[in-house]
Amino acid sequence: MQSLVARSVRTQSLRAVSARTFVSSAARWQAVPTEKPVLQKEFKIYRWNPDEPAKKPTLQSYTIDLNQTGPMILDALIKIKNDIDPTLTFRRSCREGICGSCAMNIDGQNTLACLCRIDRTPKDTKIYPLPHMYIVKDLVPDLTLFYKQYKSIQPYLQNDNPPAEGEFLQTQDDRKKLDGLYECILCACCSTSCPSYWWNQDEYLGPATLMQAYRWIADSRDSYGAQRKEKLQNELSLYRCHTIFNCSRTCPKGLNPAEAIAKIKLELAAE
Amino acid sequence: MSSAFLLRSTLPRTFKAASGRSALLAAVQARHASTSTTPYVPGGPIIQGTVNDPTTFPESDRSHGSYHWAFERLLSAGLVPLTAAAFVTSGSNYPILDGILGVSLIMHSHIGFDSILVDYVHKRKFPILGPVSTWGLRTVTVGVLVGVYSFNTNDIGLTELITKVWHA
Repeated sequence: MQSLVARSVRTQSLRAVSARTFVSSAARWQAVPTEKPVLQKEFKIYRWNPDEPAKKPTLQSYTIDLNQTGPMILDALIKIKNDIDPTLTFRRSCREGICGSCAMNIDGQNTLACLCRIDRTPKDTKIYPLPHMYIVKDLVPDLTLFYKQYKSIQPYLQNDNPPAEGEFLQTQDDRKKLDGLYECILCACCSTSCPSYWWNQDEYLGPATLMQAYRWIADSRDSYGAQRKEKLQNELSLYRCHTIFNCSRTCPKGLNPAEAIAKIKLELAAE
Repeated sequence: MSSAFLLRSTLPRTFKAASGRSALLAAVQARHASTSTTPYVPGGPIIQGTVNDPTTFPESDRSHGSYHWAFERLLSAGLVPLTAAAFVTSGSNYPILDGILGVSLIMHSHIGFDSILVDYVHKRKFPILGPVSTWGLRTVTVGVLVGVYSFNTNDIGLTELITKVWHA
């Protein structure tokens, strides 16, 4: 008798559950997306248009809802360009900090827009192009000289005696010397944060290029170290570095150009 | 004012840089290749040759390179024990030490001031003001050297002066 009652109860509850499954009114059981609160944030962005060269550069203000935007400054810039002002010009490519295109000055610090989180406080965020560079448009600096300087240090392996067979071999210790040097993505954040580079960039190579110069001086497979060092033996190319350390402080990849420059100076002095 | 002067002084370099008229024309035309119809105004970046040419290095000269740097660092490091020695001893008893301290201090200051001049009023940007200030600094340094020499030989000397001022 008892088991019969239990069975009938079970079938009843089973029927109730299956009936609810087929109810068509969605509101009862489907999750309703919670409305995110609006979080307005003001971005003040440097604008300059080469088509109107007589017009002075200005800071243009844009306000967007951070809760409808990705977490990084680059997301905000793309949001502004898509939704508010398609004439806003900036470089971007990989959006993950490996291409170095979106280097700019954000709240006074040179960094990559794609690696810089938006400050979610109500204070406005100011975005400028890399300082002391000639500007092509808005946030796009002219990096021609920077690349020419990089080319001048011959950033490739030079060795007149290649191994008879196979590849160049290197001990693990020699390979370790290149760590912290080869990761540089040439975003120019460090060079453009360096006061010496601001004043003398036509002659002084700047931290990014000097760190790459050291990357090839330090490479055990390269046999042109002496020639590479000899080129730096002058007043301006290397020795305008006054160990200010802005380069190491600003590097978005966490590298240390100042240390590389110090090592070049030491090697030159020890020659 | 200063930026205008700087701009003006970079202009001749921009024109000199491109070897001949045609190279300059080519460089300007390359910059025109964009859709912008605004002519490129010289006084922008100093581009020597085409955008694909590497920048050049000045003639290598170790006396302006590593020798200068090593001398400067050794001098700075040497000033630490010299200053300490001046505290322990007295100038009139050790006149040579006093003399070395005086000369090193003046050389150290000269290198420091000269570095400022190289940074901010280099002769490539300031063809007149640059050499004038460099030679002005050299004159001042020699004057100070002579002055310190006579002060050390005819009067109480640097170290004793500082002691006296300190206790005054």
